[in-house]
Amino acid sequence: MVFILLPPVIIFILSFFKINKFFMATVASMVLIPVIYIMFNPFVNSYFYVDKLNSYILLISSIVGIVVGLSGISMPQRLKLSENAIKRFYRFFGIFWLGVNISILSNNMGLYWIGLEFATLSTVYMIKVKNSPFANREAWKYLIVGAIAISLILFGIILMYASAKPVLGEKAMDFYSLVTNAKQINGYLFEIGFLIAVTGMFIKMGFFPMNLWLSDIERSAIYPVGALFSGVLESAIILGFFRLSQIEMAINYTHLIAFVYIYAIFTLFMVSFLIYRSKDFIRLFSLSGIEHMTLIALFWVSGGYFAALLHFGAHALFKPALFLSVGILEQKRKYMFKGALSGFKKPIIPIIISLLLLGVISLPPSPMFFSEIYGFKAMIDISKHMNYFLTMIFAVFIILLLISLIFYKFVTVYQEGLYEEKDAKKIVYKSEIIILAIFIISLIALLLPQTFSYIEGIMS
Amino acid sequence: MINILMGLFLATLISELFTTRLYRLFAWYAINSLMLGLIAIYNGNKIDDSAMIIAGILTLIFKFIIIPYILKYFVGHFGINRKVTPSVPIHYAIILVPLMLVFTFYLITPIIKNFTFTSNYVAIAISALFLSLVMIIEHKDMLSKIIGFLSIENSLFLLGITATNGMPMLVELGIFFDLMMFIVVINLLFKYQGEQ
Repeated sequence: MVFILLPPVIIFILSFFKINKFFMATVASMVLIPVIYIMFNPFVNSYFYVDKLNSYILLISSIVGIVVGLSGISMPQRLKLSENAIKRFYRFFGIFWLGVNISILSNNMGLYWIGLEFATLSTVYMIKVKNSPFANREAWKYLIVGAIAISLILFGIILMYASAKPVLGEKAMDFYSLVTNAKQINGYLFEIGFLIAVTGMFIKMGFFPMNLWLSDIERSAIYPVGALFSGVLESAIILGFFRLSQIEMAINYTHLIAFVYIYAIFTLFMVSFLIYRSKDFIRLFSLSGIEHMTLIALFWVSGGYFAALLHFGAHALFKPALFLSVGILEQKRKYMFKGALSGFKKPIIPIIISLLLLGVISLPPSPMFFSEIYGFKAMIDISKHMNYFLTMIFAVFIILLLISLIFYKFVTVYQEGLYEEKDAKKIVYKSEIIILAIFIISLIALLLPQTFSYIEGIMS
Repeated sequence: MINILMGLFLATLISELFTTRLYRLFAWYAINSLMLGLIAIYNGNKIDDSAMIIAGILTLIFKFIIIPYILKYFVGHFGINRKVTPSVPIHYAIILVPLMLVFTFYLITPIIKNFTFTSNYVAIAISALFLSLVMIIEHKDMLSKIIGFLSIENSLFLLGITATNGMPMLVELGIFFDLMMFIVVINLLFKYQGEQ
């Protein structure tokens, strides 16, 4: 397990010396060996806990981490960064990745929080890699919002620990013990803790009412930061939500459904209109990321585990691919969709980006198409067993309506992107082609029947 | 004794909300942390928990002495304006604070029997969290927001030592380490751009 934490530490140490970008990418890709080993050798101790759920999430986030490592090869030319800025990026990327990996693997809730805090504080400085007044202001904003979110998570964790300590003693801090003894713990105090912690997690993922900060920050930062947020950081946060909601399901399922559905509908309502009004790629993808995280949370609490995990995997691969391709799309001008997909020498690049753009709104054969079908089926199934059948069906209808608005916007963006642009010779670097190829291969792998049966087996 | 310290903890936090000068805000935060450290030492001594006593001493060293001093140094070094005006007028804040306190005690009523001697403290810790959040919301300048965040950390620590009779040592040390990292990040942010 130590070998999973080693590549981020090596990246951090190497960032103090002269940077060899290819060597950095190689070091980042080394993480794949221990991740695959750990998938077949699960274990539990008081600090770390590896089961099928977190090994799947770790695999997805590691792929994104490796690709961000690869994106470092073309980043200096693409973003015109200085040697010092590149060093800063690798340094804080190392700490960030280390923190997220600790969070994903942790059994201890405190350790989970420490990992998240590491990731949060290192991101503050990663936002400022390209120093500008806008980036500086957003870094401050992230420091405050991120710190509040993380404090709420810790507050919730302490309350949950207090609720379970009389029964479980010191083991009340472990996810594993809490899940297995959920029936015995003090429900009321646990629920207060759960609400506070999950509110913190939702703030961190950009849910209502904090739905504007994430897109501003990703706009002000360099492109890989958006990729790290959507592919790596949100993996760790959603894993915490998965684990805590499993315990809450055993304590009071109705409360969980009501809380998450109300929160999600408000979020979707705000986000869908913001997406409709968005004027640039980064804000569009960032807000769409919030929409997808909302859907994942909804599918999970509705009992559609397969749908939630498939949607999570697809989103964690689609979104970083899109964030990293924004560098290609915006090389002539920002804040404009028109002509973004034209003006390339090789037609394969716009085709791949178009496929990603349309795949993220669940056009078949995207994995998101299958996950949404299964997810909405799970939501209707749960409505049948609820006392408030009509309210639930109405909620599902509203969600579908809001998603159709987002669908419409993305199709418009795609069509605007196809406008012919004269004399726009756009450059695509080799490493960017490799990055897109890795994402496409991973997404195709997600569609294989074997992967479907593996994901289905995670929660059974 | 612990009730007096707890009362003073809450009183200093409320005073932070009404302060309009930055140095006075740091002073209230320092006194707030002093009360917290004394509560930890007193409680640790009472239940014979050496880890809690160590955490209390660390609180006194870091939060009572070092952090306010560093923040004061930042103000002098980066030439930050020392007048802080809350955007919620003080006469409204005076109504808001008791309402929040009553609400948190109401929130905790169903479990008052489960915690024989600490239920009030859980309510005070939750209300301290809400008051700190109000403080972050009502101030526009960065250092007051940072004090709000540090007050959330204090309320977290209070909850940890009262409701759970001490968190595991690893978590407490992790919190302290993160707090120091937080201060380092603030320093770096100030150093390279100055306050916006």
